[in-house]
Amino acid sequence: MSISGLFRFPAPLTRLCRVPQGLGLWEKLTLLSPRIAATVVQMAGKKDCPALLPLDENELEEQFVKGHGPGGQATNKTSNCVVLKHIPSGIVVKCHQTRSVDHNRKLARKILQEKVDVFYNGENSPVYKEKREAAKKKQDRKKRAKETLEKKKLLKQLWESSKNSTEKNH
Amino acid sequence: MKLWARMLWALLSGPGGRSGGIRGLAFSSWKSHPPLAGLLSPTGLVSHWTRVFEKRGIPEARESSEYIVAHVLGAKTFQSLKPVLRTQPLTPQQLQCIQVLCSRRLQRVPVQYILGEWDFRGLSLKMVPPVFIPRPETEELVEWVLEEVAQRPNVVEAQGGPLILEVGCGSGAISLSLLSQLPQSQVIAVDKEEAAIDLTYENAQRLRLQDRIQIIPFDVTSVGSWTHLLPWGPMDLIVSNPPYVFHHDMEQLAPEIRSYEDPVALDGGEEGMDIITRILTLAPQFLKDSGSIFLEVEPRHPELVSNWLQSHPDLCLNLVAIRRDFCGRPRFLHVQRSGP
Repeated sequence: MSISGLFRFPAPLTRLCRVPQGLGLWEKLTLLSPRIAATVVQMAGKKDCPALLPLDENELEEQFVKGHGPGGQATNKTSNCVVLKHIPSGIVVKCHQTRSVDHNRKLARKILQEKVDVFYNGENSPVYKEKREAAKKKQDRKKRAKETLEKKKLLKQLWESSKNSTEKNH
Repeated sequence: MKLWARMLWALLSGPGGRSGGIRGLAFSSWKSHPPLAGLLSPTGLVSHWTRVFEKRGIPEARESSEYIVAHVLGAKTFQSLKPVLRTQPLTPQQLQCIQVLCSRRLQRVPVQYILGEWDFRGLSLKMVPPVFIPRPETEELVEWVLEEVAQRPNVVEAQGGPLILEVGCGSGAISLSLLSQLPQSQVIAVDKEEAAIDLTYENAQRLRLQDRIQIIPFDVTSVGSWTHLLPWGPMDLIVSNPPYVFHHDMEQLAPEIRSYEDPVALDGGEEGMDIITRILTLAPQFLKDSGSIFLEVEPRHPELVSNWLQSHPDLCLNLVAIRRDFCGRPRFLHVQRSGP
């Protein structure tokens, strides 16, 4: 009996397609699959933030451990580095952040998606916008802190000088 | 010669090993810091031990030294170490620790046993020889089970579920992953080896999952002992990564596996089917109607299992799906019970 009809192929890790506008990034991605939510890039949660360019699995080339051997119980490999290439742009990402092949695959896709977006969108990429916003916020915080400090100094000086003048008058 | 330089020499030369140029460098330039600091940084140590391992024919030379050095620095992978830490000199204690661990690698001890811990689907598990080390493929077995459970909410009992039986729990990887992802589930985990029972128990406690797991010594091949499991109730699922290596392939296994892992956890008999068929034979007694069995197997097994099930129609089991691992090999089977 042929068993060829029994094969199931696991859903690709990311299969981000164009989805209806009006939804926030997070909602868009969780609609497609609960598992894809795990691969959502850091910009998720910002309702008015445009989505990153989607990655098509067919345009990706993935490489795991070379010479994996028979695999499974017959092998004990610790190298689970994932090398992921985006064929149209030629961008390659190497991920060995975690000890899990599965996590490295997801992380590699996340990093690759950001790089590919920057490649095509340049400075307009949400990746850069996010960085600029973060840098600006940091600058604003520093500025405010500095201003507050100066105000305190000024108040202190006024307090000191009013004390002195009161003493002189007595 | 300063004590420090003497230590450096001893630490870098390895047991009975020759480090040639490195030793010479240590002698002549221990006074000048920059080259020495580089040598004693994580990056320097990794390069050094990679070369030593390569010379001695140790497989995964670079990965092994990276994992060991990262571990000594408290990180799980070398790449996850902050770049600034990678170039800072290590303390003598850290160097000593790396030396000891790398010597074990020279004895072909698997990295997971050297570190005493390893990750499985993000869970940190203690590893103790000779209990079987979880393989990366098996993470996908758990993934598949989770997908199937999510698709069938009726599998969940009123008081929580699903109820899962794991045969051959080893370090507890499969059971504990399922428990951590299915907060209502309960697991009966069995293994014939005492060391595996102990380790699964320890890992369950480390992960605070001990309340939802029963860990029972049980030999699935011993006739009649299975009745002990019946009181735990019919199961929703049976999951297993049973020993499935073909017996004549055992001697071709790498020294890491042959010398340090329990052969009982690997040897599946002549066609690697002994434990698989035993699980399938017993399954109908333990499974609810339409209950499922998920197995990790050898790539040659899908055909063999299909044929075997056909010649045992009384079991009312059907092979419903086969799934490939990340290397494209047929690796996982879904067998379903159809009615009483």
